[in-house]
Amino acid sequence: MNTSDLAAGATRIRKIREAALLLPIFGAFLLVSPLLTVFTDANSLFGIPSVFIYVFGVWLGLVLIARAMARRLDKG
Amino acid sequence: MLSLNTLIAASLGYAVLLFSIAFWAERRAKAGRIGWLRSPFVYTLSISVYCTGWTFYGAVGSAARNGFEFVTIYLGPTLVFIGWWWLLRKLLRVGRAQRITSIADLISSRYGKSTTLAVLVTMLAVIGSTPYIALQLQSITLSFSVFESGGNANLTAFWVAAGLAVFTILFGTRNVDANERHHGVVTAIAIEAVVKLVALLSVGIFVVWGIGGGPAEIFAKAPPEMLRGDNIFSARWVSLTMLSAMAIITLPRMFQVIVVENSDEKHLATASWAFPGYLLLMSLFVLPIAIAGNALMPEGSNPDLYVLSLPLSQGQDNLALFAFLGGFSSATSMVIIAAIALSTMVSNHIIMPLWLRFAPERQETSGDVRTVLLRSRRLSIAGILLLGYLYFRLTGGSGALASIGLIAFAGTAQIIPSLLGGLFWRGATRTGALLGLLSGFALWAYTLFLPSFEGGFILSQAAIDGGPFGLSFLAPNALFGLTGFDPLVHSLFWSMTLNITFFVLGSLLSTPRPLERIQSSQFVDVFRLDKSTGSYLVSRSATSEDLFTLAQRILGVDPAQRLFSEMAMLQGKAHGLPDATDNLVQTLERELAGSVGAASAHAMVSQIAGGGTVSVDELMKIADETAQIVEYSQQLENQSHRLEQAMQELRAANAQLTEMGAQKDAFLSQVSHELRTPMTSIRSFSEILHDSENLDMQDAKRFLGIIQDESVRLTRLLDEILDLSHLESGRGQLLLEPVAVQVAIEKSLNATGALLEEAEICVENTLPKLPVMVMANFDRLAQVFINLISNTVKYGRGENPKLEISVTVSEKTAIVTMADNGPGIAEADRKKVFEKFARLSEASLAGSAGLGLPISREIMRNLKGNLTIKPSRSGAVFEVSIPLA
Repeated sequence: MNTSDLAAGATRIRKIREAALLLPIFGAFLLVSPLLTVFTDANSLFGIPSVFIYVFGVWLGLVLIARAMARRLDKG
Repeated sequence: MLSLNTLIAASLGYAVLLFSIAFWAERRAKAGRIGWLRSPFVYTLSISVYCTGWTFYGAVGSAARNGFEFVTIYLGPTLVFIGWWWLLRKLLRVGRAQRITSIADLISSRYGKSTTLAVLVTMLAVIGSTPYIALQLQSITLSFSVFESGGNANLTAFWVAAGLAVFTILFGTRNVDANERHHGVVTAIAIEAVVKLVALLSVGIFVVWGIGGGPAEIFAKAPPEMLRGDNIFSARWVSLTMLSAMAIITLPRMFQVIVVENSDEKHLATASWAFPGYLLLMSLFVLPIAIAGNALMPEGSNPDLYVLSLPLSQGQDNLALFAFLGGFSSATSMVIIAAIALSTMVSNHIIMPLWLRFAPERQETSGDVRTVLLRSRRLSIAGILLLGYLYFRLTGGSGALASIGLIAFAGTAQIIPSLLGGLFWRGATRTGALLGLLSGFALWAYTLFLPSFEGGFILSQAAIDGGPFGLSFLAPNALFGLTGFDPLVHSLFWSMTLNITFFVLGSLLSTPRPLERIQSSQFVDVFRLDKSTGSYLVSRSATSEDLFTLAQRILGVDPAQRLFSEMAMLQGKAHGLPDATDNLVQTLERELAGSVGAASAHAMVSQIAGGGTVSVDELMKIADETAQIVEYSQQLENQSHRLEQAMQELRAANAQLTEMGAQKDAFLSQVSHELRTPMTSIRSFSEILHDSENLDMQDAKRFLGIIQDESVRLTRLLDEILDLSHLESGRGQLLLEPVAVQVAIEKSLNATGALLEEAEICVENTLPKLPVMVMANFDRLAQVFINLISNTVKYGRGENPKLEISVTVSEKTAIVTMADNGPGIAEADRKKVFEKFARLSEASLAGSAGLGLPISREIMRNLKGNLTIKPSRSGAVFEVSIPLA
């Protein structure tokens, strides 16, 4: 491993940590905000209310991002 | 239709299964084969104890009544878990470092191990959890009633409570150490977590695709107000999300499984996404089941039981049984863990302190304490379950499941300000925590808990509606005129506002005790504690990345990389940079000190490590300047080297001067001594002449002669001294001219002729015929010869005294030798004769030596020649060397 890899790796880990701090804030912004009302008035998608799809979609997205970050944080 | 007996048999069978699993896991753990019992997934599943019977049945009920709102109860924990790096990780680390046994223990420990706080939080937890346990009992009895109406609900609840007590006591109090993991319990809980998830998913899939005809069909049946915007995003939505986020940390059972039962901090990384995933699956079918239940079930059926009644109504007995077991799992797992957590608190913070106070004489034997501790825990478990059962009996199973659950949430959430403040704010104090908790809890009780009895407990219905004593501004649901809000939002607003205000003000206005101060840094700076040594790490602002860059700048790229790789290896890291431990900082500082000096190295490293105000960029500038500093310091080194040399020279010169000074002192003392002798005789004889009246002429003449002789001697002495100092200073440059040595010798012999004759010394002259010409001052050269001859006359007389004078010529010098046959000069004295007033040993010297020889040598040196004494068998041999002309 050369030097730049070492330093770049450390920078990357730090960035993931910072992202890990921001993820719940990001999640709260998406799920606990007036943004939700945009979807309550929108049309249904395949017969499923769009707010239902939105909440569960964001939720799933958060789980996947958290999973990706947890793996990297765990290694660092 | 399933019979009650089948149901009882199934539950008993399921209970037996759980007992055996717990027993097997306990055995396996005892044998040391923990293996997958401690996998991150078991940990995640055990956290799912969050999903209780209230969740299993009540979520659908809540969805049927309030629409999408139920999802907030899961969104809060989701946000907390995906933000694990920020909060849960710290909580876990603190829990491990401080060997925390419960949420009450955590709060007490943080605020100086305060007993008052521990008791207060324990009571809060018990008060908040009792309705919750009752809720679980209620959900189980309700689920029984679906299958067999008219059964004795109280009896069912009693037997369920008793069975749970037995299970909890058996597997929850196996060991005294509350920090030890309950392998059996946790494994059983994990199995239950799988059962309830699969059960709910099965019911959901059956409802959506089995009877509903797909998601689109189901949602088409939804009443339009169910997913309305003002229902979804509202104050209640925000409050519930916040509330559930707080509850996931402060609920005693959640704290138990997340912090106390955690065996490896790394498991949290998995739980951070797996638990939100679990929650997502748990809530995915809640809304469809509620919609289908509303559409398909007859008017007046309990929405809380749709999970059971929907499959039953469709004749799906097995699915209903499975769903029943799922609900049973949810309720029992919650009760078991809550009972363990609460019993730990009650026995540790209430029973044990009391026992220790009232039975002090029995403390000596530790076995006794162990027995008491186990017994108190078992009693607490039984007591807590009994309390839950009594609450269930008293309230008669009234009220919707969800609302009781939310009241409990809001109660335990009052711990949050003290908890978060304790973890992140060093200035939080015991007084602040106490005031915050008390005010928050009081407000919660007044605005939410007491009104939930609907006038049955302390507050009458009239007081709830119109305020106590008719004071409307004190009405529990519209405190200080704050109306138009949901009671939960209203209560949460007031209780949290007062809680936080009192907590902050109390902390700011009180002084922490020493133990509090220690504990506050132990909590707030827990990540600065080195895991292995317990010593502090550098502050979080210090990244090994910054340190690495600094090291590269100063040490060079390759050495820096070597150093950091070695350190990483020492820390057991195969790759990547090492942690910024104290050790790393010290090592780096040592290495840098070799390049820039210890003080600068310390300044640089602590600027990075200590999180000083100087930015890293500025430090890099310093690092670049270091090269210049090194060069400059080399110059300084050279200069100081030169200075050192000069110093040495000066020191040598100083030593010489000191020696010369000492010589001068000695010389002066000798001179005064020499001058004193003639002066003394002159004075005494002149006194005789002056004082004696009748002195005859002869004596007087004699005395005057002595005075004259002495005066002459004195004058001569002074002349000699002057002459010597003149010569020594080298001021009087002698005029050099070619001189024939023979002539000078002749002259001196003539001058001393009378003396020689008187001393009967026979002079043997062997002088060359041809004149030997030398560069000299004639008079001074003659003076030297005269000195030497008179010296012979004075000291060099032997028997038949004679003086041999010879002249030899070498390449550049003429050498005049004068040898007598006297006593000679002892080896040791040969140097001394040239010293001024040197005292030679008695044999060679009668009386004191004059200045003749020192003057002669000084003259010869001024003439660029020399005067030496040659060693000889008898007599003294003086050699005068003079440069040839």
